[in-house]
Amino acid sequence: MSTYVVRRALLIPPVLVGVVTITFVLFAALPVQYQLTAHFGSPTVKQRCGYQPSCSCATLNPASIVGNNCTCISPPTNTTRAGICANPVYQEYVNKLGLDKPIPEQWAQYIYRSFTFQWGTVSNHSTVATVYPVLKGVPVTTAVEWELPYTMELAALSLLIILGVSIPLGNLSAVNRNRPVDQISRVISFSGYALPAFLLGSFMVAGIVLLFLPHTGFLVKGPWCPGGEPLDEEITYSIPQALACYPGLAVGGTYPAWVANGVHSTPTGVYTLDALVHGNDWLAADSLVRILLPALLIAYGAIAGLLRFVRNSMLEVMNLDFIRTARAGGVPESVVTSRHAGRNSLNVTVTVLGLTFAAFLGGFPVIEDVFHLNGIGEMLAIAANPNPGLDFGVIFGTTILFTFIIVIANLIVDVLYAFLDPRVRLG
Amino acid sequence: MSTSVLVPRRRGPKPHPRIAQAKRTWYLLRRNKLALVGLGIILMIAGIAVYSATLPLPWSNVPIWCATDYGPQNSQSGSPGNFTQDCPTTAPIICTYEVTPPPNAARFCNGLWYPDIVRSNISFASIIAPTLSVSPLSFGPMPLGGLATSSGSRTPIYDVYTSLLRGSDWSLMFSVSIVGLGALVGLLVGAIAGFYGGILDETLMRIVDVFLSIPTILFVIVVVAVLSVDIPSGAGSTVIIKIVAMILGFTIVWWPFYARIVRGQVLTVREQKYVEAARASGARQRRILLRHIVPNSVFPVFIQFSLDVGTIPLLIGSLVFLGFGSLLFPSTPFPEWGSISAVSVSDLQLDFLTSCYTAATGCVIPWWQLLFPGLALFFFAISVNLLSDGLRDALDPRLRR
Repeated sequence: MSTYVVRRALLIPPVLVGVVTITFVLFAALPVQYQLTAHFGSPTVKQRCGYQPSCSCATLNPASIVGNNCTCISPPTNTTRAGICANPVYQEYVNKLGLDKPIPEQWAQYIYRSFTFQWGTVSNHSTVATVYPVLKGVPVTTAVEWELPYTMELAALSLLIILGVSIPLGNLSAVNRNRPVDQISRVISFSGYALPAFLLGSFMVAGIVLLFLPHTGFLVKGPWCPGGEPLDEEITYSIPQALACYPGLAVGGTYPAWVANGVHSTPTGVYTLDALVHGNDWLAADSLVRILLPALLIAYGAIAGLLRFVRNSMLEVMNLDFIRTARAGGVPESVVTSRHAGRNSLNVTVTVLGLTFAAFLGGFPVIEDVFHLNGIGEMLAIAANPNPGLDFGVIFGTTILFTFIIVIANLIVDVLYAFLDPRVRLG
Repeated sequence: MSTSVLVPRRRGPKPHPRIAQAKRTWYLLRRNKLALVGLGIILMIAGIAVYSATLPLPWSNVPIWCATDYGPQNSQSGSPGNFTQDCPTTAPIICTYEVTPPPNAARFCNGLWYPDIVRSNISFASIIAPTLSVSPLSFGPMPLGGLATSSGSRTPIYDVYTSLLRGSDWSLMFSVSIVGLGALVGLLVGAIAGFYGGILDETLMRIVDVFLSIPTILFVIVVVAVLSVDIPSGAGSTVIIKIVAMILGFTIVWWPFYARIVRGQVLTVREQKYVEAARASGARQRRILLRHIVPNSVFPVFIQFSLDVGTIPLLIGSLVFLGFGSLLFPSTPFPEWGSISAVSVSDLQLDFLTSCYTAATGCVIPWWQLLFPGLALFFFAISVNLLSDGLRDALDPRLRR
């Protein structure tokens, strides 16, 4: 077993280096100013203009830097070249990032930075900074640290739903092959596969709004608010405030003191757990309700693939000789399906579930966007939104994070698989 | 089970084994009614794609008319007229001036042609739709011709019905070309890796591992975002460059899946007796690879191909929904199913609902704008899935028992 683990673990470094190399190829294809902002964020760049000692320029912004020049906000006096002037500090940043070095050296530096968690900084001029002003100038690793727990919470809940549905239903449809149960599971599977998540999610949101927003005005009842206090029934709230107080629609709102900056909750970072730690039971329930619908939607999509998988692996096991032997020996059919076949078909299912969870940690850009959850997927979606600005620091930082997660999850799953199935580690 | 059930009765001389295999597959596929339904829907969509080429375009600002900038003075081919009241408040996005008016153009607003709504009303939607609407805010019935006019939408006027029809050819084109290119590259890499083995196999498969470690949607976003920085947005030839860039971006993401599938298949095919026989009779490596191994390991590719084709419009829709429409496509909205449904959803975001709520008269959520593009996506994906399920049953002898 340990030899297998060692052998398998030795494959990790080359794959990690390969993954970072792909990221590097994409990164190096960017214009220089985007590479600079991806790493440094938006430091204030001082520049010297003509005979003027210095004039303060805009912060480092990919849109305003052209080549080696930088446009002054207020053109300096006594210069012939109004506005545009050489920018030695800009060159300094270029040197600092090593962009003047040959490509192999840049590659080595990029790999070093990736493995030492220097993933860049959130730029002030990007869409991320506009949507989340808290994240302005924050290192990407910190931003990830704040946003990842939300996604983990969502992933964990949907994985629970998936586990609860796909394994029993898959086994059931394999045992009752081509009977109504099997047909129903086939319909669930195919419809989940073909489902446009953003459409169903939007219908859900519209439905929630219709169900919960009373037609008679904007009076809000009930304790569903991120602020922690039930809203005053005598006060009429504005629509955004009101929307913020309905289950499943986490828009804005005020946060309790233990949620720093409205983004980072302490101590664990997982909103539901933190609410429990601070003894705020209904807030925990509220945050659970908020992620319930998105989790159901995610689970529906993921069950589609898993259901067929569980069914087929169960069918394969049911055809094996030891099942026939067990039946011939008089073991009751329910024991055969649950103990003999179920246990043995689970090996493969566990590995697939592990990989699914790892893929889940990559975030759910669409679903988090529909339901306005501040997970890592939503952050990525915002970062790659070109209006007002792309944030390549966040884009490449999250890419590196996800690939690391998936490569390590692959290792864990393979080891788990070998543990469950001796043929793998001995073969 | 005797083979006579599986093989249709043969008349005349014995056909070529590959034709016999195809006939057997078709026979087995025919017995699966769901797969036939899927095949029927796909054929219908293909028919619509051909037919829709004759229809007027759903948007007046489709880039084909934007190839040349004639300037404001020269776009006098239609009568500008005084239509300011009818003008949509939002300016169209991609192009400023048009060369020729579209066939159904009736209104000329701010230098742009807009389709004649009255004319587009004559569609099946106007026949089946009732005229009632319920206030203040509800899922009330679809108004007369609601599908054709996109009332309640804040985007430049576009026609859900026509754009769905017009979108079918783009959707099919994108799906087939992206997955087809990916499958081709994957087939090549997988076959070489599996056939030659050794260090070449190890290297290629590690590269595949590396590519597979990056989540699909994220990888597409990153590739397209990087590609888009270098492509200046504008009219003319950039339209083609942008579409090609998008297809290439997707292909980079797609090929590793196929490489892995094909390699696995090649590894088993390589050990078969007929390959050994070919080698014994002195066939060269290349001939064995191309004539014996590739044709016999291509079936799983077909299955995966048909599965993936259905997901492409969904993926494109998700990306457009996230706001990458302008990164992916030369114009937004673009007549493609995923794009249409995503744009329709964006119209129905919360801010629309809230502004609708504050309106004194009340309004109906334009649910038909969501539902019908969604149904188009759904039926395309599900029919492709049903067909591929039937194909798998027909092609995989283990599942036939």
